[in-house]
Amino acid sequence: MAQAMVKRIVSSSACTFAGLAQKTYIRNVAASSKVAASKKERVLPTEGEITKSVFMSQSTDIYTNLALEDWLYKNMDFTNHHVMMVWRNEPCVVIGRHQNPWLEANVPLLSEKEIALARRNSGGGTVYHDRGNLNITFFAPRERYDRNYNLKLIKRALFRSFGIKSTINERQDLIVRDKYKVSGTAAKLGRLTGYHHCTLLVNANKADLSKALAKREHGIQTKATASTRSEVANLKDLDNRITVENLQTALGYEYLRTPALHLDDGGQSLIAKQRGFQFVNPTDDWFPGLAELKNDLVSWDWCFGRTPMFTVSRSFPVPIGLLAPSKVYSATQELVINMTVEKGLINDVTLSIPPGLIESGFHGEASVITHLKGKRFTSEALNALQDAMLTRHHVSDVKELDDKEQFVAKCFDQVVNTM
Amino acid sequence: MPIRRSQVLVKWIFENQHKLQTIRWCSSSLRYKELEDSVQADHVAPSPTQKPHPQITPEISFKYEDLQVRLAAPYQLTPKPEAKELGFGKYFTDHMLKIYYHKELGGWQKPEIMPFENLNIHPAAKALHYAIQLFEGLKAYRGVDDKIRLFRPELNMERMNLAAQRSGLPMFDGEELVQCIKRLVQIDQEWVPHSETSTLYIRPTLIGIEPTFGIMAPESALLFVILSPVSAYYKASSDGAVSIFADPNVVRAFPGGVGNRKVGSNYGPTIEATARAAKLGHHQVLWLFGPDHQLTEVGAMNIFMVHINDQGDKQLSTPPLNGLILPGVTRRSIIELASQWEDIVVREEVITMDRVIQLNQQGRLLEMFGAGTAVIISPISRVGFLEQNIEIPTMKQSNPVFQRVKDTLLAIQYGHVEHPYAKVIS
Repeated sequence: MAQAMVKRIVSSSACTFAGLAQKTYIRNVAASSKVAASKKERVLPTEGEITKSVFMSQSTDIYTNLALEDWLYKNMDFTNHHVMMVWRNEPCVVIGRHQNPWLEANVPLLSEKEIALARRNSGGGTVYHDRGNLNITFFAPRERYDRNYNLKLIKRALFRSFGIKSTINERQDLIVRDKYKVSGTAAKLGRLTGYHHCTLLVNANKADLSKALAKREHGIQTKATASTRSEVANLKDLDNRITVENLQTALGYEYLRTPALHLDDGGQSLIAKQRGFQFVNPTDDWFPGLAELKNDLVSWDWCFGRTPMFTVSRSFPVPIGLLAPSKVYSATQELVINMTVEKGLINDVTLSIPPGLIESGFHGEASVITHLKGKRFTSEALNALQDAMLTRHHVSDVKELDDKEQFVAKCFDQVVNTM
Repeated sequence: MPIRRSQVLVKWIFENQHKLQTIRWCSSSLRYKELEDSVQADHVAPSPTQKPHPQITPEISFKYEDLQVRLAAPYQLTPKPEAKELGFGKYFTDHMLKIYYHKELGGWQKPEIMPFENLNIHPAAKALHYAIQLFEGLKAYRGVDDKIRLFRPELNMERMNLAAQRSGLPMFDGEELVQCIKRLVQIDQEWVPHSETSTLYIRPTLIGIEPTFGIMAPESALLFVILSPVSAYYKASSDGAVSIFADPNVVRAFPGGVGNRKVGSNYGPTIEATARAAKLGHHQVLWLFGPDHQLTEVGAMNIFMVHINDQGDKQLSTPPLNGLILPGVTRRSIIELASQWEDIVVREEVITMDRVIQLNQQGRLLEMFGAGTAVIISPISRVGFLEQNIEIPTMKQSNPVFQRVKDTLLAIQYGHVEHPYAKVIS
């Protein structure tokens, strides 16, 4: 079976994204800022001229907040105005731009527990969010983008307000007590603007987290970015005074009291020169064009359809009862299912049916393959398969699958649904 | 420019008169200034047109460089409502500007920006008893380039100082207040939606707070500025035009009064008449004056009329600044902009109801509209007067003047075109 490999080169850390969005909104900063082809023509202000704001999102919906992050990245001019946005979400799993949701998360469990699955625009690994998790996005002009500054700022805030000591490891994660990861990082750099997004675990439900991200037998082979699992800890375990609210406030004040380009303490007098905290209401009438961004993020085509091509290979031993009773077989009879999934749709299916199953009367191979092709890699495929096998019975007018067909259906179910 | 009486100022002018620019006598903006001054008949010194200002002491004004800022903490912020619910003046932003004046402490104190809070006022404060109060209205617009612009704030400052002078309240340097307002707007900038349907309405107010009953100029005053995100102001009928009611028995302003100053005492007494007009099915009141029923203002706006004049040309008319009319910033901008158009004549002239009726009967009355900061342009399609219902074909014109004027103003305010009227603030 020819396997088309993923062409994109995937990195596990920051992902550079060239070019601006295709869509134009009422405000398009790039068009109106009269920036010539050469970047050098943009005059950046001195440190004293930059003012800072802390935006606090009023929404807890992951798709709305991701859309807001994207809207600000595409439409706001950060030349003289650096912004730190803080936000929280209802329970959800967020995968990186180039990741495979079936590989990273327990997809059937997510839909069963109504936990949302979202794919963000930036690269990196998978995270689980709930209300005990704080998201922080640092926005700055591309030339002033500085991940180290941002992470060190968080480190300083944790110490100044709560006495918590932390370190930054080589993967740019924030580590406490030398081994527990309390934050993850992802970023996106455009022509004019860059953003750096971190998470901070304050009081997340660790049990739900591990269930949602559980690694299971799946047989997937892919070139998509895989997450590196680490041992995590909640900040609340280190100091039980911490809540998401007071951490948000502490980070905000640390951000406002630090000069824009170097780490120092400007104190209350520097805070008084900034723009301060603002609530942000992410709706389409406050931010025209937001609804369109959100609709894209919610769509199946983006969340699942954007998965880099992968193959699935599973083998299932056939129960003795389904084999021809008179025959004895030398090797274990195994049904092997191979599938290629592209853009979240089943592309190529190969079924290796063991002789034992053929001799006992299973004939469904051809129709199975035809009916699965083009279907989404979800239960949808399964229903199509069962319908396909049912139609084979038009001769004998039986509306039920025989036990061999049931077995095959069950195997497919395992492939698709126990991801 | 604020008009000040000051020995320091006169001395400065005397020393620097060689730097003062020559004024063009044909300038229309000078014409209004002359009218304004002639009505006042004050012995005021002409303001210098050049910076830097002479040394500012607290007697003369507060200074922007003394501004102290106290930003609101997250728990003090108000969550933002849906942009559709904003209305006019219902929601306010998170911060405010306050500047005290105490004669006892030398005059103007240091300006402060702080989280939005209620005022603490002595029950005998003069503003509460004798309406020693004035206010201003201007807007900040978020332009197409995401930059915030103020529309001619210097004119509001000039007008505010004239009202202060007339009310016994202290005057100040308008430029310093504009700088303070710019900082306030910068802090509360996210209260302006990123679309072109909403703006930030800026309400500077000056009240006398001295807690004594004497009817004299207060020795203490408070200048405060609050901001309100606004969407629509007047509710119009389905075609967008309003119906107005002209009652000759109600007088808004009179010669020798304060009709030409933006003081609160001009507005409170209009509520009753407006409520009566609403019962008759009208949106606003048309304020008339005199036995010949001169049109002065409509609602809280200046009034304009488009008609074919006796020479057969299209003419835009508005009542002159004769003391009964508030010198609106929108009004002045319309006159100045339209004067540059070749296909229309602009005149400031007294308009009477008889003239309106006569022109309408001859089919020469084309449009009528109100103009003001809050609503920009409000086209009028019907006037109720005595027992008549005068229908005005404002909405039936093709390429109407009011639409042209509105589009020109909006284009300047939202930064579609670069124009000195709209100043960018970060």
